[in-house]
Amino acid sequence: MKRLLKIFFLLLFLMLNLIEMKTLAQVIKEETEALIIEIFGEEVNFTFSKFELADTIKKKVESIVKQKFFGEFIYLYTISANDKIIAFGFLDNVYGKSMPITFFVLIDINGNIISTNIIKYREAYGGAVSNKAWIEQFTGKNIEANFKVGWDISSISGATISVNSVTKGIKKILLLYEEIKDEL
Amino acid sequence: MRYGFATLTVLVAMFILPSIGVSQDFDFFEPHTTLGGYGELHYNYSKIEDAKSKKTLDFHRFIMFFGYAWTEKWSFKSELELEHNFVDGEKGELELEQAYINYHHADYLGFQAGVVLVSTGLINEFHEPPLFLSVERPYYNKVILPTTWFGNGAALYGNTSGFDYKIVVMEGLNSDKFSASSGIRGGRQKGFKADAENLLYNGRVDYLGLPGLKIGASYIYNNANGDSTTIQIGLIEFHTQYQNKGLYAAFEIGNISYDSGDVEASRGYYFDVAYNIGKLFGIDSKILPFFRYYDINTAAETKSGGDSEKKYHYTQWMIGLSFLPIDQIAFKIDYAQKTVELESITTDLFNLGVGYMF
Repeated sequence: MKRLLKIFFLLLFLMLNLIEMKTLAQVIKEETEALIIEIFGEEVNFTFSKFELADTIKKKVESIVKQKFFGEFIYLYTISANDKIIAFGFLDNVYGKSMPITFFVLIDINGNIISTNIIKYREAYGGAVSNKAWIEQFTGKNIEANFKVGWDISSISGATISVNSVTKGIKKILLLYEEIKDEL
Repeated sequence: MRYGFATLTVLVAMFILPSIGVSQDFDFFEPHTTLGGYGELHYNYSKIEDAKSKKTLDFHRFIMFFGYAWTEKWSFKSELELEHNFVDGEKGELELEQAYINYHHADYLGFQAGVVLVSTGLINEFHEPPLFLSVERPYYNKVILPTTWFGNGAALYGNTSGFDYKIVVMEGLNSDKFSASSGIRGGRQKGFKADAENLLYNGRVDYLGLPGLKIGASYIYNNANGDSTTIQIGLIEFHTQYQNKGLYAAFEIGNISYDSGDVEASRGYYFDVAYNIGKLFGIDSKILPFFRYYDINTAAETKSGGDSEKKYHYTQWMIGLSFLPIDQIAFKIDYAQKTVELESITTDLFNLGVGYMF
């Protein structure tokens, strides 16, 4: 009986850990998709793809923004209503002090930002970039904007690294869109 | 035997099946090591009235930061510091300033255990050289809030609805080392086989919901003890910082109450104003001329009264310039005049410094 109980608790413990492993990535996917519905309504359709970044485009954008892309792909959501594309969503990551910050930028087909959101923040410090007041200031901006922290983008005391990283990351998405929009 | 085999099968199935089912997409985290550091070199000149001037060149501090993240939630962070180039007996210092396991449960709740920092003021947790304007750290953050204040303990932290909080419980202070000249600074045990008889309790809250503004306060309580004294201290402080459109301003004010000994209270405040003129020249680098004023008395109230309350009462004004070619490097210059209330003796101070962080 004791042995059975030991096995039971061991299995329970392992199961709980595996469930955690499975859902962290799943939560990011679900939250991103829930955001699309929240902003555009239930009637929209969206498709997801992993857009591969061509080397030339990658290097060009990286050198302007002075920030590297997180990986070889960018997660792209194409949102349409009534068979017409109305917006694009880019799910990407930048590094804070040592952890990735996952964020989502929704832009209209003209390259204007509809909404930006921090999907997952993982550090102990600098989490204030998730504050609505800060992240919402990107709405309406396009590639003409300065994206200069301390000027058109307000800074956050104690979150210098994350503020700068996320600001560059969002600018990077707009520049990328400019380069690839004809392919989409 | 049957149970053992069944268990094994289930375990194997549980490990293999999910990894087939779960996509590797949306999994942006990978275990990794982070290396970083900061440091500063200083030239200090000081001259008290007509006495001979004192000049020093010193690599004040050299810090190595290294950390590891096992998972999105579990990570380790540490800072090792070497002060004044060299350690030999009382000269120089080699310190483990931070070394803690961090469990980040969610943005609103996290936990730390190990060598942690007291959460107070603007500089104790954000003490890298490019983050403050003057060559040396503000005097307020030396004798009122004894930066860098660290020790063995544990903490809870979180960020929610524009508020940021931290609660720390850690080793206390050694009351035998309190002084009228430096308040509680000498009492920091710095983790060395720290006496854990009386723990220190600290709580801090900041509001970060308004663009460019940080405003907050903290409280620290410790029934400090030493070999020959026991002094209960309560420290309350308020801090605020504003950065927007090139303007930078900071203000801190604090009070320490002691329940025994000659010194009954230490208190002081300072404020900084600066403006980034780099923008006027149309460059990305930051050029920050600044002005600082402080009024600090580590023996503001004493049992003996009279001159003892004037002996360590300093007022100082400072002007300076901080040049950051990039955000992680700062070249600084400053000049100050510091006056002590007792006999109004004035000290001239001039400093040059270079600091970096990565």
